[in-house]
Amino acid sequence: MSDVVTMVQILLGLAGVLALVRAVQGPHLVDRIVALDLVLLLLAGGLVAHSSRDGSELFFGAAIVVALVAFAGTVIVARFIEWRDT
Amino acid sequence: MSVLQMIGSTLLLAGAVVTLLAALGLLDFPSSLARMHAATKSASLGLASVALGSGIAAESVGLFGVGALVAVFMFLTAPVSGHMLGRASYFAGQSPGLVHDDLATARPSVRAFTPERSSRPSLLRMIPLVLIWVLLWRDAGAGVWIVGIFVAALIEWARRQRNAPVRVRIGGSLIFLGRYVWMVIRSTLRVAWEVITPRNDQIREAIVAVPMQGNSLSVALLVANAISFTPGSLTVELTEEPLVVYVHVLHFESVAAVQSEVEALERLVAAALGEEIPA
Repeated sequence: MSDVVTMVQILLGLAGVLALVRAVQGPHLVDRIVALDLVLLLLAGGLVAHSSRDGSELFFGAAIVVALVAFAGTVIVARFIEWRDT
Repeated sequence: MSVLQMIGSTLLLAGAVVTLLAALGLLDFPSSLARMHAATKSASLGLASVALGSGIAAESVGLFGVGALVAVFMFLTAPVSGHMLGRASYFAGQSPGLVHDDLATARPSVRAFTPERSSRPSLLRMIPLVLIWVLLWRDAGAGVWIVGIFVAALIEWARRQRNAPVRVRIGGSLIFLGRYVWMVIRSTLRVAWEVITPRNDQIREAIVAVPMQGNSLSVALLVANAISFTPGSLTVELTEEPLVVYVHVLHFESVAAVQSEVEALERLVAAALGEEIPA
């Protein structure tokens, strides 16, 4: 079981690296925010996957908080971009 | 390895692979809106599958409950953030290379949505709030329930706005959910295929205006969100009076094709919500 979780976490980490490349490249603020949103969601996914190793529920709370922060941050920056560019 | 662990592992791995493909698409696709199709939706779908999978693999009812909560949360937030970023990106002029653009000629005046207020809280709306509260506390003691009901009542009181009376039809909802899940899986695979194949020759981006047939705001909102959660299509704008959904699609064939697809979706949603559609 824990082999599967390790593999899942490696895949998610790889996806995170790709997203970070996009975050650095841009070119527009929108692209960076999409990429950073994805990085946070991947972090949440990694935390969630971790709790199936031993069935502990400790990381689920953290995952929910991270996902909430990602959502709130994305929405606020989207508002900001519209406000700035119009 | 038990059967539950097998199912859980499969969901975990499938979710991780879909997410990785989404990240590849984020790197590979040619424009901001196209990249959003890959990232906000395919990734949310993948991570929802990871959350459900790890709940099942741990063979714990509590973990499965919280995992389902995370998955539902992804389903609720992904269309909203996708829509808002898509709108911001379009109006920031970050969408070159559109084959067809109905929004450019329309440029609809955007009216702020101001719901009417009334002070009638609904007990029905409080039930899911209380359940989420108890799930998050991971403790079903009497105190948790009482405080949960209190918090739900407080939230209900704070948002005293009147929703149009919606009568959810169970049969229609099940048909809608079934067809919708199939639609999402199909288009996720299509976007994934687009990522795997090296050339982006099938991508023809376009924004198509689709007038709603009915005039129910609830139906229009649900249709807009359903479109946004499907990889390959994204609601960029929704105008009231008249109700028009502006859909950005990744694989544009013809205006009529997009419109008939959205109209079919609208009929499903209307049947689920028990709304009438003029024929």
